[in-house]
Amino acid sequence: MFLSRAQVILAVAAVGLALFVLDLVRRRRLSEEYSFLWVVATAVVAVLGFSTPLLQALTRALGILYEGSTVFAFGLAFATAVLLYLSVKLSRLGQENHALTREMAFLRLELQELRDRVAGARPGEGA
Amino acid sequence: MTRSDVLVIVPAHNEEESLPATLEAIRRRAPGVDVLVVDDGSRDATVRVARERGVPVLSHPVNLGVGGALQSGFRYAVERGYAIGVQLDADGQHDPADLEALLAPVRSGECDVSIGSRYVTSTGYRAPLARRLGMMLFSGVVKMALGRRIADTTSGYRAYSRPVMEVCRHDFPKDFPDAPLLIALHRRGFRLQEVPVTMREREAGRSFYTLGKKLYYPYKNLLASLMALLRRPA
Repeated sequence: MFLSRAQVILAVAAVGLALFVLDLVRRRRLSEEYSFLWVVATAVVAVLGFSTPLLQALTRALGILYEGSTVFAFGLAFATAVLLYLSVKLSRLGQENHALTREMAFLRLELQELRDRVAGARPGEGA
Repeated sequence: MTRSDVLVIVPAHNEEESLPATLEAIRRRAPGVDVLVVDDGSRDATVRVARERGVPVLSHPVNLGVGGALQSGFRYAVERGYAIGVQLDADGQHDPADLEALLAPVRSGECDVSIGSRYVTSTGYRAPLARRLGMMLFSGVVKMALGRRIADTTSGYRAYSRPVMEVCRHDFPKDFPDAPLLIALHRRGFRLQEVPVTMREREAGRSFYTLGKKLYYPYKNLLASLMALLRRPA
């Protein structure tokens, strides 16, 4: 079975990236949740890269002229999915951030009010 | 300490220069209302300036935007039992002398939100061209949604009844509380009304709206207006 040089490079790169992603999880730099899409993406690219018959069949079925394009198309699709997923997560993180910021403002005010009350009750002490 | 049933909410982002005059104007021209300053992540002495004048301050550790500041104010107003909340800019463009006129229709139950408008009657205010075009656009959008005209959709001088604040403390646009907010409130069945007020030029400090936001504003507000129409009012 003949593998083109581009196919091999792509597949090896995909495996390398997958290993790197898993290592990030091991070192707790990346949570399992966020590793999921990456691992799936690299696995698909690696399988397509190594398996010529599958790649050729898929390329023909999709009406693509060159096998390499199929691999890139899948890679791009996954990258888009990851980015969209991150945008959604980021929006939620922003909302949570707002809520926490607000909570903090209220706690600060209530603390200030308590301090003022304590200072008022015991003249000469407190700011 | 006498407690009013009206809370004036003053969102302030780096307003140490204009805040003293604004607070003083409220004290002189609208005595008998309570005031809350919402410091939105200021890096200057905004908080100190307000506290020195005996005004309570809600202080965001980071900047949330004018909508986020108001939302904090609404929560404060609801939690502490105020009947009406008034939004008044720290930069001195809103005259507290108009406060009674703004409060009257909400107090009497004529409407749930009153909007201080520069355009109901001629008050001699003339905005720059780009701003005028934007206002025409959003006035048109609001007119389509509400079935009647709100001339000044961007006015930051408004009074809100308690039921409105109860909704807004949970759900409020975080950056520009303009046309989409008015549409969303209308869809929830709240009645809006414009009240003529005079607005002055900004006294000091910088506007909330920077260049990037000026470009983003029309996109965001058109999209948010559309979404306000598409969402089912909860």
